Amino acid sequence: MKPTNKLTVPDLISIGVFTALYFVLVTIATFSSAALFPGFNNVVLPAVCALISGSVYMLLAAKLQKFGGISVMGIVMGMFFMTSGHFIVSFAANIVMGIVADFVAKAGSYKSRKGLLFSYVLFSYGLFGPVLPMWFMKDAYVANLEARGKDAVYIAELFANINMGTFVFAVVATLVCALIGGWFGQKMIKKHFVKAGIV
Amino acid sequence: MKLRLDPRAKLFLLVLSNLTLFLHVSLRTEIMLVVLLLSLYFLSGKTKSGLRMTAVYLSLVAADLFVIPIAEGFVLNFLSMLSVGIRMMLPCVISGGYAFSTTTVGEMVCAMRKLKIPEVIIIPCVTVVRFFPTIAEDYRHIRNAMALRGIATGNMALLRHPVQSLEYILIPLLMNSNNVAQDLSVASMTKGISMPGVHTSMTEIKMTKTDYLYMVLCTIPFVLFLGGVM
Repeated sequence: MKPTNKLTVPDLISIGVFTALYFVLVTIATFSSAALFPGFNNVVLPAVCALISGSVYMLLAAKLQKFGGISVMGIVMGMFFMTSGHFIVSFAANIVMGIVADFVAKAGSYKSRKGLLFSYVLFSYGLFGPVLPMWFMKDAYVANLEARGKDAVYIAELFANINMGTFVFAVVATLVCALIGGWFGQKMIKKHFVKAGIV
Repeated sequence: MKLRLDPRAKLFLLVLSNLTLFLHVSLRTEIMLVVLLLSLYFLSGKTKSGLRMTAVYLSLVAADLFVIPIAEGFVLNFLSMLSVGIRMMLPCVISGGYAFSTTTVGEMVCAMRKLKIPEVIIIPCVTVVRFFPTIAEDYRHIRNAMALRGIATGNMALLRHPVQSLEYILIPLLMNSNNVAQDLSVASMTKGISMPGVHTSMTEIKMTKTDYLYMVLCTIPFVLFLGGVM
């Protein structure tokens, strides 16, 4: 078969296989962050996941070397988030970040290490979908506490530093973890796959 | 007879339960919807998971109604996180869990084709579902092989060297995934997955009266809420 720029069926199946692995890693990240930081698990989830799934992403990018793979992975991840009962916004976040990450990786023609690393960071932000309800739900928290007869000042104090602070924390933590995870992934791919001549 | 809903009806219920988050529905509306969703589990013979979900939901509602009014400080913070945060996600989890546990791969593909989703998305989706059991099996093999060499045996051993564990488990998994992807491609190409035109399907799905009835039933709480009745 002559090489094309379009995604072929084998490409799609590879994407599916790697997405499944990525999904498993997200699940592991979900459980471990729930165990380590109960209550704040959604905030640290993108960071924990970015830390461990770099190799999957890098191998997919190295194997396909064409536009569309990362986008499709984002879309499929979003769909599985949705059907496994996550918030519908996670769908949008995954798709948007997947496509953006794909364009960035394409700019480095899927070879530039820095480009791939940067696109991995962006892709990791796709996992912010499950975090977003926290900001949607803030009103609901407050309304609920008011209905239970709590003092309004007290409630304001309770949430004042949670929102902006946690958001910034989540963004920075994800950036750092994605850089480490992506770097580790690239190192692993080089050590195990490039030398073996698989990609 | 056990109830079987069309995948598209399940998707509709999923979207509806997501609406509870967007609209900030009242507790009564939420309870009505959850009761309807939970009864699906029992009607479809998923009694065990139905009971589990019911227990979780009931305890969260109880915590909200009885414990939060008397709680203070950290306990209040933690409990409200739990009872409001998790409880608001629960309708989605309940309908998602139902959709996930009662839909076969064939039904899923059939529904996706009827919804005119492009093959570019369908094929990876099917592969994901098909591949989950393989990952579990591979993982067991890898752990056995590691144990044979005396690496990471015992309960907490994986956590003691996290980077090493990640490399030793993930890389074989990736290696094998790479091979399986090739095998699966060959197998599915042989079965004509890349043929142009309309594909036939073993599984037939059809929207029945029950589907429509259930969709309408589950919309009622929202209508009542938006109409200001509740």
